[in-house]
Amino acid sequence: MANRTDPAAKSIRGTNPQNLVEKILRSKIYQNTYWKEQCFGLTAETLVDKAMELDHLGGTYGGNRKPTPFMCLVMKMLQIQPEKEIVIEFIKNEDYKYVRVLGAFYLRLTGTDVDVYRYLEPLYNDYRKLRRKLADGQFTLTHVDEVIDELLTKDYSCDIALPRVKRRWNLESLGSLEPRRSALEEDFEEEEEKEDNDQPADELEDRAYEKDYYRGRDRDRDRDRDRDRERDRDRYRLREEKDYGREREGRERDRRDRDRDRGRRRSRSRSRSRSKDRKDYDGGDYRKRHARSSASPRRHGDGHEDDEPKKKKEKKEKKEKKDDGTDHPDPEIAEANKLRAALGLKPLKV
Amino acid sequence: MIEVVLNDRLGKKVRVKCNDDDTMGDLKKLVAAQTGTREWYPIYKDHITLKDYEIHDGMGQLYYN
Repeated sequence: MANRTDPAAKSIRGTNPQNLVEKILRSKIYQNTYWKEQCFGLTAETLVDKAMELDHLGGTYGGNRKPTPFMCLVMKMLQIQPEKEIVIEFIKNEDYKYVRVLGAFYLRLTGTDVDVYRYLEPLYNDYRKLRRKLADGQFTLTHVDEVIDELLTKDYSCDIALPRVKRRWNLESLGSLEPRRSALEEDFEEEEEKEDNDQPADELEDRAYEKDYYRGRDRDRDRDRDRDRERDRDRYRLREEKDYGREREGRERDRRDRDRDRGRRRSRSRSRSRSKDRKDYDGGDYRKRHARSSASPRRHGDGHEDDEPKKKKEKKEKKEKKDDGTDHPDPEIAEANKLRAALGLKPLKV
Repeated sequence: MIEVVLNDRLGKKVRVKCNDDDTMGDLKKLVAAQTGTREWYPIYKDHITLKDYEIHDGMGQLYYN
């Protein structure tokens, strides 16, 4: 009874308007408490009141695909089929953004192609934030224009398959629509004019780009240089040369190289020593690389242990062993630890 | 280290190795890595550890949907 479409309602796209929502979702909505309590006997006017109370949009969520109140109201609108003027009023109103989105959604489902573009495109200029409920029940942030973009470009939104609308350029070539004028178009034109007039400003920009490019190239050269050095020589000698290099090159680059090499050195030493210091450095490689290393005797002590022949083995081991306790002999546990490290969890305690 | 068994009554059974002081949130992440996120019954709070929920090794089954 409450679920039958208004007999005076027209059929949309050749079918009962409620069929726009697929069967399973429809049943879920009919069984939903919000639908049964709030949506009984709603008219166009009372529907507005309910819509003003909305505070999030979304499709279905949870393990048993519970529909959101937004969905229920969409369904209600399909059932009672408000007049086009009313829907347009929904869309035009500025005060209640969820009412706007509700109207836009309904129009997208039921309106003609031209109407869809004509009334939804102005909403691209609305940047207000919206709360969207995801399938797992959590909320995420989105914006009105993002939702409109989804409605106009995707086939599926809020767990409802959106009916096909013709492409915009089709309608433009038919002459039903004018080419789209973006609200940002004037800003673009201004930018272009500025660019034509301001030549020096451009040159400055180019110069800045060039500087970065050269610096990048030097960086690469340094990196290669350091890598060669480390491969061939002893730690001690490396350290000396780094000091020498420090005098020669700029300070910034050194700090970067230092950290990078420290990171490399650090991980190498750690992969050798099974001592307690491994536990201190949980949480993935990235933290090590960015942190300033200390000149602790322990670290230098580790450096002492390494010899040349071991270095090659180290490099191999570094590839197989991770730094986070994932070098467990049992492959299952090692894999589990790898996953845990990826998630940011501590390794398994065996 | 304990091994927890999760069952989604449609025939998917997942065994997950974890520490007993991992939180439910961590466990959910580990399960999600294997099977995808779902809703769990009973509904567990994310910040409570398995130890507090008294979920022991190999014990019973946690259900998810």
